[in-house]
Amino acid sequence: MSPSFGRGAMTNSWQDMQNSEVFLIAGSNCAECHPIAWKWINRARLKGAKVIVVDPRFTRTASKADIFAQIRPGTDIAYLGAIIKYIIDNKLYDDYYVKTFTNALYKINKDFKFEDGMFSGFNSETKKYSYSTWSYQLDANNNPIKADSLDDPDCAFTKLKEHFSRYTFELAEQITGIPAAKIKEIAEVFCSRRPGNILYALGMTQHTTAVQGIRCYAIIQLLLGNMGKAGGGIQALRGEPNVQGSTDMANLNANLPGYIPYPTNAEKTLQHFAAKHGTAQYRPMVAILKAWFGQNATAANDYGYDWLPKNNPANMPTQTQFFGQMEKGQFKLLFNFGSNSTVSIPDRKIVARGLSKLDMLVVTDIFETETAQFWREPGMKPEDIQTEVIFLPAAFVYEKAGTMTNSSRLIQWKEAALKPLNESLPDLDIIDLIFKKIRELYAGSTDPKDNAILKANWDYGKHADPYKVLEEINGYNDNTGKLISSLAEYLNAPIGTVSTGCWIYAGVTGSGNLANQRNNSDPTGLGLNKDYAYAWPGNIRVLYNRASCDANGQPVDEKRKLIWWDAAQGVWTGYDGPDVVDKTKGPDTPEGKVAFKQTPEGVGRLFTASYTSGVPVAATVELPVPTRSAGMTVDGPLPEFYEPIESPTANILHPNVQNNPCAKIISTEFGSPEEYPHVLTTYGVVEHFCAGAITRNIPWLNEIMPEPFAEISKSLAKKIGVKEGDKVEVSSARGKLTVRAIVTDRLQPYKVNGKEVETIGMPWSWGFASLSPGPSTNNVTMAAIDPGAGTPEYKCCLVNIRRA
Amino acid sequence: MTTRKMVFVDTSLCTGCKGCSVACKAWNELPAEKTKLIYGYISQDSTTPTTWTYMSYHEKYENGKMHFLMMKHQCYHCGDPACMKACPVGAISQTDSGYVLINQDKCIGCGYCVANCPWGIPKTDETKNKTYKCTGCIDRVENGLKPACVSTCQPGALQFGDREAMLQTAKARLEEVKKSYPKANLYGENLMGGTTYVYLLLDEPEVYGLPANPTVPSSLTFWKDIIQPYGGWLIPLAGAAAIGSFFSTRLINAASSKSKGGKTHGH
Repeated sequence: MSPSFGRGAMTNSWQDMQNSEVFLIAGSNCAECHPIAWKWINRARLKGAKVIVVDPRFTRTASKADIFAQIRPGTDIAYLGAIIKYIIDNKLYDDYYVKTFTNALYKINKDFKFEDGMFSGFNSETKKYSYSTWSYQLDANNNPIKADSLDDPDCAFTKLKEHFSRYTFELAEQITGIPAAKIKEIAEVFCSRRPGNILYALGMTQHTTAVQGIRCYAIIQLLLGNMGKAGGGIQALRGEPNVQGSTDMANLNANLPGYIPYPTNAEKTLQHFAAKHGTAQYRPMVAILKAWFGQNATAANDYGYDWLPKNNPANMPTQTQFFGQMEKGQFKLLFNFGSNSTVSIPDRKIVARGLSKLDMLVVTDIFETETAQFWREPGMKPEDIQTEVIFLPAAFVYEKAGTMTNSSRLIQWKEAALKPLNESLPDLDIIDLIFKKIRELYAGSTDPKDNAILKANWDYGKHADPYKVLEEINGYNDNTGKLISSLAEYLNAPIGTVSTGCWIYAGVTGSGNLANQRNNSDPTGLGLNKDYAYAWPGNIRVLYNRASCDANGQPVDEKRKLIWWDAAQGVWTGYDGPDVVDKTKGPDTPEGKVAFKQTPEGVGRLFTASYTSGVPVAATVELPVPTRSAGMTVDGPLPEFYEPIESPTANILHPNVQNNPCAKIISTEFGSPEEYPHVLTTYGVVEHFCAGAITRNIPWLNEIMPEPFAEISKSLAKKIGVKEGDKVEVSSARGKLTVRAIVTDRLQPYKVNGKEVETIGMPWSWGFASLSPGPSTNNVTMAAIDPGAGTPEYKCCLVNIRRA
Repeated sequence: MTTRKMVFVDTSLCTGCKGCSVACKAWNELPAEKTKLIYGYISQDSTTPTTWTYMSYHEKYENGKMHFLMMKHQCYHCGDPACMKACPVGAISQTDSGYVLINQDKCIGCGYCVANCPWGIPKTDETKNKTYKCTGCIDRVENGLKPACVSTCQPGALQFGDREAMLQTAKARLEEVKKSYPKANLYGENLMGGTTYVYLLLDEPEVYGLPANPTVPSSLTFWKDIIQPYGGWLIPLAGAAAIGSFFSTRLINAASSKSKGGKTHGH
């Protein structure tokens, strides 16, 4: 979403779902896995909203749908491409919106090409694209040249139209297994009711084409004019309660908190960083350095930029990749907080191999997880493993104070309800104690590499106080000596005079602890609940809400109005916080037309062109500094369908380019459709949470979902001679496991390129330990990751199945 | 006099998350039982002395269209409760609010209520010689709280309130749901004297494995309304023990065959 809109976050909120007229739920079983989403969707249903569900299985969500389509796992881009083509062919797009709020009219570089499944600029050795031809035609002032009409042969809209002209309903049927008539029905229903809402979760992201699938959603919603509106948008339903929070705080290895690009070894100085990423990233970089190094960060020493370790882009493993690096000896120590990789990583044997080569593994958790005792798994040889394993008991969620940030970007403060049991401690206390001890050990060192530890601004009290951490994240203004009061104060202050540990959170403690607000009133009835906790950025509940207004700055949907231009007062105002560049710049000014201010062009990006906006120079910087660089999709400026890495069929769009050419493949064993004819898709169940570390130790949950299973169709059951309740062995080229069979009509065989294919569904939450042990589905899944997001392709691989 | 209460179970909104099962166990401090999957996602297919509510799923594949139905099961708290009639020791009573309760101090675990419930809901703990079932969370309701299952239900499939008002809600909802599910019906409004848990079902009761017309066994009516009132002078009679034994055996046989029928899974 970040390359399309500028921010990588769910655009609306849970409560806002009540405002939708139609839902496309594809890649999410939210009735089961996000019950709170379903609460609000039900309210919309009671008002007549239609629900479309596309899923490899007939799920509990599907049971409530008006339209259900069973799809072959990993083929979403094919039918979504057909919907895009349908919208363009039938001119169902919002003409004003597309011309005003997207880059549809922007002229694309004449050298840009897409041929035989490949975009221009591919380097087959590095498996990476150069972005040089994915650019705009620019004028003398570095501004993109705009066409006069959507028919211009060079404009982004034409590129989009040409690209998707291949995606007919019939082609989509051959690829996805969904009948063409059903795809057409989905397109008709979704396009005929607005605002339409799209919900997705891991069903869309756990593919080697993850980012491009979401790009299809972005294109559809931009074309239909559904972005920035109550009841519209794209909702990324996060896999855990605080995933948004942890992503905001940089759990991705190419980020610093607040989505600042993590500096690489090519950006040797702060000036280099600024030149590469623009003032838009230079400002928060200085602010975060000031937060982290406090008084030690000065203009003279580049705010301590040198002390930050730099990334090496040639060796930046994600979680799925780093176990391989561990096996090769690159890591000596792993701190493992609240993660159960031994169960959760695809092709999971790579985890134990990696952990076995460490000097030390520290696991912090509330239960002794499989990862904490990986050497105890049957088949391991503990006598050959030298890794020292230390287990630190952690406090549970109710035993610690702090914030959680949910999918709606809502930062919510909570107090501890209970004292931690025995010696267990909150994570913050554990990290605080370790850091203080480490700093003690480094005291007196003059080695420059130790400066990061010695110069750090670390004072959260004798017993670390989470509120002090939140205040550091909020940030301080040097000139007032006080906490920053709002996001605007941070944005308007001269660079180098304010600190913030995560700029998008600026203002959260600016006038008391706004994350602790609990006023649930909703005078608009739109579910904005502005006085309940605090949403980043600047307490805006519906992102890009400028796009909900017309050329005069007035709401296009009176029933769902969010913001408007108050001409008398000369200010943007409304029920929600206006997501505008400058609240005083009216709709007749260039700034007042910008609905997507976090992109360099200020518009939503149908075509994710490479572009760096603006004009040089910030006072403190010598090198020319552009203002903002575009977020990029590394595998193409337009989404293209590629088969999953393991697929039962050839890519009929371009047989010579079967898979995403940029995908990163970690597993080493692959199966052919002859040996492994069925498609496996994996998922969670409502009764267990992720790798089950908590829930498999709760007897009431084990009681209602006691064991893993494989769901198969009746026709597959007949073929392999299996009935409900029999044990079946599911195997892939990488491993196998034996579970109970569920034989059901909720899965049906389907035709792909004329061949009958079966999908097998399996939950993945079990492992060898806990009160309810069970075999792990990740024995068979494949470690291959999306080149942009790093998510593994858990959702499809090839397997065989037989009666055990 | 307290008005009669009702829980409206709108299965069109239920997502089968089993949150009600867990909330019931938590509030009533009931231990988890060791289970296995029985069929599909089902690990519980009847109540037990320590499982007072559970979820069932019903699959029906017709004309290329899948119907995946779900409902929770618990005591219906009947207006005319067969269990209360059957109880030989007067342990079962009914509140003005419509709740049917077992007084554990009086209960002798004889199982007459188990055998006579048309849904086979109460269950006897053979070691304690006590029979247990859903209390409707009377301890919460009398203190102004909603029943635990209702209060935890995120999709809003369970609603609690005064029976008359809830019935209006249920009927309005039925009209709406019938547009998509022509066989939708209200289950419980008039059954067994009108139940406290009233369901909006999307298909015929049999599809959910429910008896379409649960009744109080006529033999039980005979026992309760004719014999028992005269128990004061009948029992001293020499033949009384023999009569009691005759009826109880008959009743248990009749009712247990009925409750078996109510447990099958439509699929």
